[in-house]
Amino acid sequence: MLELIKLCKSFVQPDGDVHVLNGVDFNLPAGRSAALLGESGSGKSTLLHLVAGLDKPDSGTLLFDGQSTADFTDTNWNHLRRTQLSLVFQQFHIVPTLTVADNIQLHARLAGRVDTVFRDQLIERLGLGGLGNRLPHQLSGGQQQRVAIARALLHRPKLVLADEPTGNLDETTSQNVITLLTELTRETGSSLLMVTHSHEMARHLDSQWQLHDGSLSPAGQIQGKE
Amino acid sequence: MTANSNTWQQFVWVLTTLLSHYRRHPGQTAFMAIGLMTGVALWAAVQMINDQARASYADADQLLGAQAGFWIRPTPGVRQGGTDAEGVPVADYISLRRAGFVEIYPVIEARIATADGQLVTIIATDLLALPIDSLSGTSETSTPFSDDLFSGRQWLPLIQPEYEAWYPQSLASQLGVAKGDQLQLPGSKKLPPAVIQAREQQGLRIFMDVGAALSVLDRSSFSYLAVTNLKPERRQLLEQQLPDSLILVKNQQALDLSQLTASLHTQLTAMGLLSFAVGLFIVFNSVRFSLLARQGTFTTLRELGVSTQILGIAIVVETLLWSVFGTVAGIGAGYLLSGLLLPTMAASLQTLFGAIVAAEIGLSSTQVLTAWTLTLGGLTLALAAPMWTRARMSVLASRSPSEWWRVDERARWQLAAVASALIAGAALLFPMMDTVTDGFVVLALILFAGAFILPMALHLAILIALKMLPSSNWQARWAVSDAFSQLPQLRIALMALLLTLTANIGVSTLVDSFRTALSDWLDVRLSADLYVRSDSLDIDQLHSNDGVISRDGDPSWLIDSHLRSGVSIRWQNRPTRIEGLDISAPDSQAILLAEQMPNGLIEWQEGSSGPVQPILANEQVHYLARVELDEVVTLDTPNGPMRFRVAGFFHDYGSAYFRFYLPNKIFETTWPSASTEGIALWIRSNEFAAAEQALINSGAEPGDWVSQRDIKRISLAIFDRTFAITAALNGLTLLVAGIALLAALLAIHQQRLPEYAHWRSLGMHFSEWFRLVAVPLLILVTVTGLLALPLGWILSWMLIHELNVTAFGWTMPMLWSWSPVLQLAAVTFSVVLLALGVAALRVRATLPTAIKQLASNS
Repeated sequence: MLELIKLCKSFVQPDGDVHVLNGVDFNLPAGRSAALLGESGSGKSTLLHLVAGLDKPDSGTLLFDGQSTADFTDTNWNHLRRTQLSLVFQQFHIVPTLTVADNIQLHARLAGRVDTVFRDQLIERLGLGGLGNRLPHQLSGGQQQRVAIARALLHRPKLVLADEPTGNLDETTSQNVITLLTELTRETGSSLLMVTHSHEMARHLDSQWQLHDGSLSPAGQIQGKE
Repeated sequence: MTANSNTWQQFVWVLTTLLSHYRRHPGQTAFMAIGLMTGVALWAAVQMINDQARASYADADQLLGAQAGFWIRPTPGVRQGGTDAEGVPVADYISLRRAGFVEIYPVIEARIATADGQLVTIIATDLLALPIDSLSGTSETSTPFSDDLFSGRQWLPLIQPEYEAWYPQSLASQLGVAKGDQLQLPGSKKLPPAVIQAREQQGLRIFMDVGAALSVLDRSSFSYLAVTNLKPERRQLLEQQLPDSLILVKNQQALDLSQLTASLHTQLTAMGLLSFAVGLFIVFNSVRFSLLARQGTFTTLRELGVSTQILGIAIVVETLLWSVFGTVAGIGAGYLLSGLLLPTMAASLQTLFGAIVAAEIGLSSTQVLTAWTLTLGGLTLALAAPMWTRARMSVLASRSPSEWWRVDERARWQLAAVASALIAGAALLFPMMDTVTDGFVVLALILFAGAFILPMALHLAILIALKMLPSSNWQARWAVSDAFSQLPQLRIALMALLLTLTANIGVSTLVDSFRTALSDWLDVRLSADLYVRSDSLDIDQLHSNDGVISRDGDPSWLIDSHLRSGVSIRWQNRPTRIEGLDISAPDSQAILLAEQMPNGLIEWQEGSSGPVQPILANEQVHYLARVELDEVVTLDTPNGPMRFRVAGFFHDYGSAYFRFYLPNKIFETTWPSASTEGIALWIRSNEFAAAEQALINSGAEPGDWVSQRDIKRISLAIFDRTFAITAALNGLTLLVAGIALLAALLAIHQQRLPEYAHWRSLGMHFSEWFRLVAVPLLILVTVTGLLALPLGWILSWMLIHELNVTAFGWTMPMLWSWSPVLQLAAVTFSVVLLALGVAALRVRATLPTAIKQLASNS
């Protein structure tokens, strides 16, 4: 599904170039999930942004569904994000002026793929029933993140990218959100790449990877993982 | 699903998402709507009034026969064969028409007394004799009546017995005449049944068919024959056909209202455009806030795969929707506003130029289209800059606050660079300034340069204030530095405020200077106690040997008198008055001269022994006709062109005419048939009653004379009425700027609510919060006001010393007064505090929810 080969990215800083990603190799099979662990500033979010086409690598290859994205234009990336990808953020990034129901359907509508049966199932599974006419500011943080997850899954993307999705939530809510996210991506057959600094949350995913000094390596077996 | 339908669907959802902002933020939507509406409304109202006035002039000029290129009048000194000594016999008219001169139509103008002694003016013509091309309105030079007069054959009863007399509404009210009434004349004669017309442009005159007028007035001749569209070869032919008793004369006295009032309309248009510019700033303000508030939504949509092209198209459609709303609502509000302002404007025009404007406002498709084009242009401009910024910014950068700081800094420098370019442009254009339009362009460059330099000036002012504050006073330092947070969002509202304050200071200085100059001038000019001027009174008789003011022995109540006579001619293509003055009269001793030759006044009084006599001219002759001191001017006299040397220029405030003064002795020999127009009387104190009784004994009626005090009071009242429109527009613009500020404050506080919630959670009291946000705002408004002072001074200097001279041709001293400035400051701070109070109340109401939100997210 997703394959990264020798991916490099650096940023220009006043005290010299910072090499954030230094030849990263990574493979995420279809329908599988992976957690990206690492300290703050290690480049986890940068890697996610490169995969989403929000930023461009300095060198290396990024293959999506076997296809190289090296020659992708903005139009190609827009199309990919609209139809095959989904993003879930720490700050939710839901539209404050749309109702819960409209926010949930927004991505699917843009992709031209609204499955009303699946929508109702998602709303029920995520515990959003009866909140359809509310506005985001009338919801708690956990509810807002569940709206973001519903929006991310309704159009059945091939890959869901989540950037610290529980960073703004308390522990109980975080557990619920991660459980729902992993279960639902499994059920929809989507792959999931999640950035987190929490080993506890990472345990819910199929594999865990550690980003350190610009290199990615398996984080090893974590206690309690099935 | 095809790619096209998918794109369309995408577009629809993107547009729906963007427009949802307005549904969820009704306050911001209302401000945007009000900003657009008021901007367009102020511009449209001024435009409608201007168009209406111009249309009225065209109608009035044509109706009165004033645009006729030539007149046929009795030859001076040749007795007529008919009964009327001063007219053109009907028989002569008929023979000319029979000879094929269809360019000719008859006009009767007569001032008559009604049975109850009221004086009315009748104007009559033969509708069927009017040139055919003028009826269809195809001729540029003659459209005696607008199409509406001829639609529905409403004119038929006018020309058929028993005829009709058409009264303008205001005259009918004045005379107490209702529809169908027949005005009783002395004896048994009556005017035809009255028809009340809304067409005020015929002036305070009764319009009739010429046949009816001949019968009612018992005349057998016309006042004159008007001749339009006369080609040179036809002119020669016509002159050959005229009997000796008639002469073809060029129309010298046409009062070209369009020409006279052009400058005033340019000024009003400029004020309308300034209002529109202030409105635009408000729209810019609202658009900026709506874009800022939707910044997250834009980025989210980009993250969801929406292209910048689709976002761009959605914003263009949103702009179009707003432009249509702005145009429709603005034109509607402008229509109502113009109805309210028209009486004030009509008063100004009547006072300044004697122009009468119809009371009905019309709306043309051109006005609507121009308003829409302007609105769309303004909105595109307001959207273009943020859109350009947005388009260039990557998705990741747009989520970064530091990038927005950089964008703001860049914008500040860019605006300062544009301001420098505008100032350079103004400096280059200033020496080449020649017309009123040039002057307004220079003014616009200066004003906008001031507005664009404001953000940099405010930024520097905050830096200086911070440097001056002791580091120990952390609360004051926090408050001042908070101005940095408010400045980017307040920038445009403050620019609008600066323009408004500048316009207020500039225009009020102009009006105050003008009023003071006029008042001082009236004090000197109106030195006599009583002024007698009446159409029903023979002034010469009053002054004759056996009259009340005897030439040989003045009555005991009289100190001095001054008989005035004058003629109207056309000189340098402008109506011109030449007046004869009694050089020994007190007021002739103290003529206020703006400029004169050495001993110019004495030379003028004594006259010259040579062929070229000295003459005094008003400043308008100097500035508009570009005549210099000691220059020789040639004036048409009954004895042919005569030359006069300009010995001085006198002040003639507010006059639209060229005016020359000659000593009576020279005037009477040059224009022997000129009529006496009035007399000024200097009365001994406590002898007013005797003077008035003497005037009544000589046949004068109360109203035929007016006291000096009354003239001054009436003049100043007229002046105040004339400039009421300026005050009204100033007030409206300040209101609009206040709305902009309120909108900006509400948006800022809405945006910063989470920040305030944090402050509150740190234990900050509401009063401390209020101080923290009020202090920076007051600093910003104060600096804006301080910058408005020099700009306002420049504006008033330009209006008084450049534009007024170019437009009207007279000068006045500039009077800078702090009183209106302080009043304006008080009003501005009241508006600012009111806006701040409303915003604070809103924050107080919404803060608890924001704090809860903060807690639930943590």
